[in-house]
Amino acid sequence: MQARSKQLKNTKFPDVDTQWLFGCILCLALVFVDPTATRCWIWEQILGITQYPTLYPTGISSWLKLPSCRELESNHIAMSQWEKRIRDLFRTAPRGETSELRKGLVSQYAHERKDAIERTIHAMTLGKDVSGLFPDILKNLATHDLEQKKLVYLYLMNYAKTHPELCILAVNTFVQDTEDPNPLVRALAIRTMGCIRVDKMVDYMNIPLQKTLKDENPYVRKTAAICVAKLFDLNSQLAIEEGFVEELQNLMDDANPMVVANAVSALAEIQDAAPQTKCFEITSTVLVKLLAALNECTEWGRISILTALADYKAENAEESGHICDRVVPQFQHVNPSVVLAAIKAAIAHMPSQPNDVQETLKRKMSSPLVTLLSTPPELQYVALRNIRIILQKYPSIAAKELRVFYCKYNDPLYLKLEKVEIMVNLATENNVKQLIAELNEYCHEVDMEFVRRAIRALGQCAIKLESCAPAVVDCLLDLLDNKISYIDQEVMIVMRDILRKYPAFEDAIPRLCDSIEEIDEPESRAAIVWILGEYSDKIPPIKSLIAPFCRSFLEEGTQVQLQVLTAAVKLYIKRPDEGKELIHELLQTATSKSDNADIRDRAYVYWRILSSDPAVAKKIVLAERPIIETTIEKMPESLLNELLGEISTLASVYHKSPANFMGRGRYGSDEVQKRALEEQRQAKDELNDDNLLDLDSGEPAKSDLNMLTDIFMNQPSSNNSATTGAANSASDDILSLFASVTAPVPTPSGGSSGAAPSADPFNFSSLNIQPTKPSPSLVAAVTTSTTSSNGSFDDLFGSQSASVPPPTTSGGDSKNDLLDLF
Amino acid sequence: MGSAFSSLLSRLWDSNKEHRILILGLDGAGKTTILYKLQLGEVVSTVPTIGFNVETLTYKKLQFNVWDLGGQTTIRPYWRCYYSGTAAVIFVVDSTDRDRLEISANELKTMLEEDELQDSALLVFANKQDQPGALGASEIAKALDLSSLKDRSWTIVACSAIRGDGLTEGLDWLVDMIKDD
Repeated sequence: MQARSKQLKNTKFPDVDTQWLFGCILCLALVFVDPTATRCWIWEQILGITQYPTLYPTGISSWLKLPSCRELESNHIAMSQWEKRIRDLFRTAPRGETSELRKGLVSQYAHERKDAIERTIHAMTLGKDVSGLFPDILKNLATHDLEQKKLVYLYLMNYAKTHPELCILAVNTFVQDTEDPNPLVRALAIRTMGCIRVDKMVDYMNIPLQKTLKDENPYVRKTAAICVAKLFDLNSQLAIEEGFVEELQNLMDDANPMVVANAVSALAEIQDAAPQTKCFEITSTVLVKLLAALNECTEWGRISILTALADYKAENAEESGHICDRVVPQFQHVNPSVVLAAIKAAIAHMPSQPNDVQETLKRKMSSPLVTLLSTPPELQYVALRNIRIILQKYPSIAAKELRVFYCKYNDPLYLKLEKVEIMVNLATENNVKQLIAELNEYCHEVDMEFVRRAIRALGQCAIKLESCAPAVVDCLLDLLDNKISYIDQEVMIVMRDILRKYPAFEDAIPRLCDSIEEIDEPESRAAIVWILGEYSDKIPPIKSLIAPFCRSFLEEGTQVQLQVLTAAVKLYIKRPDEGKELIHELLQTATSKSDNADIRDRAYVYWRILSSDPAVAKKIVLAERPIIETTIEKMPESLLNELLGEISTLASVYHKSPANFMGRGRYGSDEVQKRALEEQRQAKDELNDDNLLDLDSGEPAKSDLNMLTDIFMNQPSSNNSATTGAANSASDDILSLFASVTAPVPTPSGGSSGAAPSADPFNFSSLNIQPTKPSPSLVAAVTTSTTSSNGSFDDLFGSQSASVPPPTTSGGDSKNDLLDLF
Repeated sequence: MGSAFSSLLSRLWDSNKEHRILILGLDGAGKTTILYKLQLGEVVSTVPTIGFNVETLTYKKLQFNVWDLGGQTTIRPYWRCYYSGTAAVIFVVDSTDRDRLEISANELKTMLEEDELQDSALLVFANKQDQPGALGASEIAKALDLSSLKDRSWTIVACSAIRGDGLTEGLDWLVDMIKDD
């Protein structure tokens, strides 16, 4: 038979459509392994019998050993299987972790599938992209193994967005799971359904959500409540039309406090996203429910209820009092967020209470706030930022707690800075002595930034409380002895402020002058120059002290240059013989060599005043300045009140109103990211525009003008009210001066054009010596004030230059310069 | 170590190896009803399946993992996700629905062309025989052009999921086929 098959193979094989080599191997293998099959196959090849074996008579077929129908059929299958197996052997299996996992996920053994799911989740948590396994994971969704179900749901939540169209394959299982006898499964299913934020899913959420909202188990109900908020986010119309929002409102009457809490937070979220729905309105009946639920729910629930209470406007004082009473026990909660939320609610309802109740409440707030300082540093920082807001409104809360804000040696810098800030705010006549001793300690630490802050804090104390000023000045002068550069820089700035408030400390000036060589930072240099100018009549070697600054005039920063100019003018006015040479030289340099318009303007203005009438110049330059009350930065009242309502949110940490850093309406991280990208693109576009402008026009004045108008537009929003107030008062001063000065100035070109510039430098000097920290807002104020004065100047000139001849007092070239400028 | 042994043993005995069976067909053919009739022995009230149902059932000492996939037009494209490793396909046809018989035939044809289903046996249920005007098995077979199938073991059984007729018959055939493997 073997021989026969070989023979046959030689003659018949080329006709067969399978490959020759395969055939050989197959044949040999089959002859050994399965003789019957081989026989069938051979006959098949010879006679071509595949379908109709009954064609041949039984006798012949048995004699020829022809295969029977049954044999032939099974043989057919067997053959293709053999063929396939051999083919499989030669085919290389796809390698890699993903294909291995896939194989496991569709395995015929339950334990292998579970193992593969576990490994997939493991890979997912490591950050590997296993989204390709989505369809295979999906197949394992329907299982009675809770553990496996949880894992699969976890995967779904993570990767649903990558395969939104496949998500509907999970719907049936979700719906079935929401009817599971196990409440855990029901809640899990509805939660996952909500978390899969795919539009197609929304259509199928309706029935399961309705069912779970009315579930007998509170755990399921509370999960479904949150799910409504999620649905609302995806499709608000549907959520309202299908009555889910109403359903939520009903849940606020639920017997279970957890459900109430979740319904409250879901409603608050919906209300936040779509205020027009007015879905979340607390009535007195709801209020009773909320207060009852407050004590029984988890910390998350408490936070949402307390936040809702804080936003609630009580109908009368009695109701407010009731809320305060119920909120106070939450001060003792272990979770800092609950504590802050409770304090927020209490603060919101406190103002309507009688004074003695308010005092008690404040007393009760003090210890929980202090307790917050024993948390980890990051939490402490949040607490401190919030405490600062609260203390600005109600300083008495922590008036006696100065000690708890003392910096520990191992506090991170951001905590130390924040604590110093609070301590300065808390300083009173009673505790300032301790505080100065403490701050003095800090001045000897090694961290530069902290030391500088401590020195500044000393100055703030001195300016706030007159009684401690001598001690502070002593302390500062002692620090100078250490000969540490950054300490000297800071001491100069602080001393300038102190001298501004208490001119009596002029004895300290020689000590300051000793270290004048060390000072190299612009702000400190500006400070010391201001001091020199101010006390130029009392310092004997003044000329030798100011001269180096005049020499290096062109290398100095703008801030210092302006101060040097003013100081030289002061010196000249106070001691004309000493300052004469200096001022002449300086004004010459400033008007001819400086390319900064502000500097040149000021130099011209001084020059003109001095040359017109020294008496008037004296009156202007040495005018009385407004007294400074404090150098401690305070939030403007409106912002403070807004932030009090935002306690324990991000806004309270930033000390910014939420509108400033969050998008309008919805503000997820996606939204913020999108906005940032858009802004970047816009900035790029603008940059291109600017370049174009510069390229083609060749008149920088135009773009400057644009910038001016930009700044003008921004002014109201970027300035806080304190600085605008200062600017306003400064401009008022200008106006009054303007009125008083115009008469005596004998400029031939008419009062207005002469007086406007003379008022201008005053504006500068009054702002520059305003001893505030160089915060961005101040810088903004300075720039806006310069630009605004420039602008008005511009207008003045623009309207007048045509008709009025330019001033003739200061030579022809200056005239041209002025014209150039405008 | 112990678990490794037990898993080895269980593999050797093949005790919990599951054979994967798909139930496919147009929407409303009665797939879900058949599945639960087979598993629970009773007729459950069903809603259109968006996605799939899967149940494990033991028949003649064999464990089956029976997948009932939704038959709606939107879901049909995703059937292919479930093809791999399938031992047998049960294709359910609504015998009363003459209009859509052609669509059914087309779906069957496309499905059987899939590479992953080359080795799967095919059992066609001509369902809803309890209804008046239902077509017989041979008519359905003709309409689906089953006779032209080559290299595949197939059979067609007339059944009624509601009454339970023909289901065991079809399943017996399936068990034979799978055992032969």
